[in-house]
Amino acid sequence: MNRKLVTILSALLLCLTYSVSFAAETIKIGALYPMSGRGGLYGQDSEAAIKIAVEEVNAKGLPGGKKLEVKVIDDQSKPAYAVTVAKRYITEDKVNFLMGVVSSAVALAVTEVSKEYKTIFVGTDHGATDLTANAFQKYYFRVNNNTYQSMMAGAMYLKEMGGSKKIAFIGPDYAYGRDQLAELKYGFKKLGVKADFVGEFWPKLYEPDYTSYITAIIAAKPDILVSGFWGGDTVAFIKQAKAYGLFKKMKYAHFDAGGNYELFSALGDDCPEGLILGSKHHNNWPDTKENKQFVAKFHKATGRYPSYAAQGAYVGILFIAEAVKKVGNAENTEALVKAMEGMKLKMPEDPAGFTSFIDPATHQMVQTESIGITEKNSKYPPAKYMLGKFKDYPADKIMPDQEYIDLLKKTKK
Amino acid sequence: MMKRYKDLVPWIIYFLVFGGMLFVRGGGHYVHLAMQIIILGLFATSFNVLFGKTGLLSFGQALFYGLGAYITGMAAKSFGPDYFMWALLAVPLVAIVVSILLGALSLRLSDVYFTMLTLAFAQLAWGITIKWYGLTRGDDGIQAIPKPALLTGNVNYYLFSFLVVTACIYFLWRLDRSPFGSVLEGIRQNSLRVTFTGMSVFRHQLLAYVISSSFTAIAGGLYAGIDGSIHPDMFYWTMSGSIILMTILGGMSGFFGPIIGVTIFVLLEDMVGRSTEYWSFVIGIIMLIMVMIFPHGIIGIATYFGKFFARKGGQVDNP
Repeated sequence: MNRKLVTILSALLLCLTYSVSFAAETIKIGALYPMSGRGGLYGQDSEAAIKIAVEEVNAKGLPGGKKLEVKVIDDQSKPAYAVTVAKRYITEDKVNFLMGVVSSAVALAVTEVSKEYKTIFVGTDHGATDLTANAFQKYYFRVNNNTYQSMMAGAMYLKEMGGSKKIAFIGPDYAYGRDQLAELKYGFKKLGVKADFVGEFWPKLYEPDYTSYITAIIAAKPDILVSGFWGGDTVAFIKQAKAYGLFKKMKYAHFDAGGNYELFSALGDDCPEGLILGSKHHNNWPDTKENKQFVAKFHKATGRYPSYAAQGAYVGILFIAEAVKKVGNAENTEALVKAMEGMKLKMPEDPAGFTSFIDPATHQMVQTESIGITEKNSKYPPAKYMLGKFKDYPADKIMPDQEYIDLLKKTKK
Repeated sequence: MMKRYKDLVPWIIYFLVFGGMLFVRGGGHYVHLAMQIIILGLFATSFNVLFGKTGLLSFGQALFYGLGAYITGMAAKSFGPDYFMWALLAVPLVAIVVSILLGALSLRLSDVYFTMLTLAFAQLAWGITIKWYGLTRGDDGIQAIPKPALLTGNVNYYLFSFLVVTACIYFLWRLDRSPFGSVLEGIRQNSLRVTFTGMSVFRHQLLAYVISSSFTAIAGGLYAGIDGSIHPDMFYWTMSGSIILMTILGGMSGFFGPIIGVTIFVLLEDMVGRSTEYWSFVIGIIMLIMVMIFPHGIIGIATYFGKFFARKGGQVDNP
């Protein structure tokens, strides 16, 4: 019996020598995305966008004739597993950069790995403001906007809309939802908007039934319902709330993740008109050459239109390639950090005449937030409604100010 | 003499494999994996004291794993690296108190009701951890947990956790073959008979529950030091679930079965996860094959072949 045990265990030891390796002489990027489960679509879209970006970059060429090589691994949305993969990327695969991550909890864990191993980590798809505040470390950069930027733009939108401000808030009961409400309130205070919060509702994430919340919201009689839902929860809530006529009784505003394309494709004809929604990227706005090209390329490659996640991943690759071009190699991490700190990059979501750039102090990409209103538009099937009447919020006005970062440091430490 | 030698073999393999990890391919990633394996191995071994030995299926041992991790993590994070060790020492004590309370409540029920109640308690702990943002930082988890300088670095921390885990496993191994262990086995086989001998089934079960839970909590505490980041999903039912899977995969009837299960599970996850996102599909198929064809796990396969060859060699196999 014991001899057999020995055989099995030595077979295991042999297995240890197995590993998939990257080709030599390339600049290696290790990407982490959820490829299954609730966030799976974002991972799939990101992977497709990464392919497009890598082709573009490699066609133009990099210093020393090197090529970009990206490996995408499913992080299973689990922080512990993601850390293992990130460490393997660095110690085994010898990647030059880490990128990606949808879940903020995963990102908070991975940024510690990046700090420990002094490997640059480019965040493309997670919102927690804390990553560029309390958990900030110099090897971390984020090319998508944080929730503060979305909510600040939202506060400005609501201010311009005028009228009385009886507001109810509903959002998932975890950091992402709680942060959005805190940021909206801070935004109102900063802009001098007097708002009357008549109710806060905290269903848990992935709640299947919102009926009790919907009736409570209608009973609270707000003028505006601000929502902080994420992913499929938005679709479930809108479908259920529509049946109760909620959208006829109040305005619905959802700034960080409300205007994501996958929502319109999931809702189809069920999408109510007149919702005020924002997103990290819109397929039909801004009407610039860069955005149209990006959307068209994505559609050609996959046969579907991209969710916001695709733009983040696409920009992440361009961002890394741009830094490598500036420095001339991918090995000198300190020089790369310097190059990234002063980086300007034209993103598909940039309106005409504006170029996004990295804030050297927080390593957050300073970018515009666009908010629109739902209207009939079937140019991007299977969606039947898209956003229109967009308003752009200038980048410099929606960045977290020092006062807010100090406040975060005080409350979250 | 033969018996003693046979007892030693698994230990020799244990030291060869986990000591050898330090020399395999320059360390790095594999030392990191080995840390996870021995820590989860301790979790699974102490879980098996309840499951394989006493016949109690707890679906809530993640509660103690998370408890250990959060005590260590929060103490080191708020008071500084020097408190890491103190917290680690306090972990089993807290776990003893909590497990006496929860054990006394849930062991009043038997079979599936016991299982459901343990699950309910663990989910409750998970809910509190997620909701109590001010204390636990909720779904963000806790990162950058500091450790004393002596334990910093992959190899140092591996050696440290290897020592702690080995000491714990040795204790559990002795327990396994002690008279107390025999009583637990008796309870699993026929608890009524144990009552007839004048012993209290409840007390023995409670003690087994407390021992199992405290060692699980130590495993959780050690885990907080691997990457310095912990997350509420350590409390979640999927954590308890995968420990059950690993134990069944390795074989719950042998003392070292759970560790073998953990080793294979973690290595498979690492290898399969590199090339495909269908990792859970692969492990699902493996589990299906194991449960249908080899219900006694890897240990069971080994025993089967061992007996087969022994018979061929002309020896009589006395059960």
